[in-house]
Amino acid sequence: MTNSILALVFGAFFGFSLNKAGLTKYNKIVNVFRFTDLAVLKFMMTALVVAMSGLYALRGLGVLNFPNVPATYIAGNLLGGLIFGVGMALTGY
Amino acid sequence: MKFILNYIRKEEWSPYVAGILLGLVGIVAVWLSDSLLGASGAFENIAGMIGKAVAPAAFDNMYFNFIMPPGITYGVLLLVGVFFGGMIGAATSNTLLWGKKGASNSDEQWKRIFGPQVWKRWALAFIGAIILEYAAGIAGGCTSGLAISGGMLLAPAAFLFIMGMFASGILTALIIYRKQY
Repeated sequence: MTNSILALVFGAFFGFSLNKAGLTKYNKIVNVFRFTDLAVLKFMMTALVVAMSGLYALRGLGVLNFPNVPATYIAGNLLGGLIFGVGMALTGY
Repeated sequence: MKFILNYIRKEEWSPYVAGILLGLVGIVAVWLSDSLLGASGAFENIAGMIGKAVAPAAFDNMYFNFIMPPGITYGVLLLVGVFFGGMIGAATSNTLLWGKKGASNSDEQWKRIFGPQVWKRWALAFIGAIILEYAAGIAGGCTSGLAISGGMLLAPAAFLFIMGMFASGILTALIIYRKQY
């Protein structure tokens, strides 16, 4: 039950940050592929850097454990990424 | 305090500030609920649930039984939150277009490239979404679930996915925009 409420709250913050970064707009997404607006990259990489340093620090302190790390299968991840990019540039998801 | 309130009302934040917010949410999500943020899995959970009700035989396979179990999962609730979070974000800056005229095709750049027709926008969104969801199924996640959430655990899968995504994204944009690239 608490987990369900937490999911809704995390989702809301997630959606809020996406909206404020402008990632809910078609032009932001497609312009990163045209190199005219790099907001998507800046947003993604900042989130990555903050989260990875925070998570590894907290794990080092023994505060939390990592959930299941997404499985690596090179062909699948690469092929999926390649098809995904086509959809992303088309729709601006 | 007033400064913070005014900043919340701004339509567009610095991507660095928004990124820090998302990073913190990602950390707290792992800490409190031992889960990663993700979006594409939720659609598969819902599709599995509908599929099991409509055509149980067709959906009785490994993928829908074990990899993507059907039902209202954590991911589905997260996606509901994302929807409302995005609405709240737009509402705070008074840019919410819900129910307003021209809201279904509001992007100037899109109209310049593809035309002002609403049906085109919907058709392309539908086709593109099929491609996206199929690809997310193959790769094991989307931009949020694999690239960001996997990347923050330093999963190699995430970086392979980002490589593929940008390679084909750039190529597709190049084809669509041709001379205007």
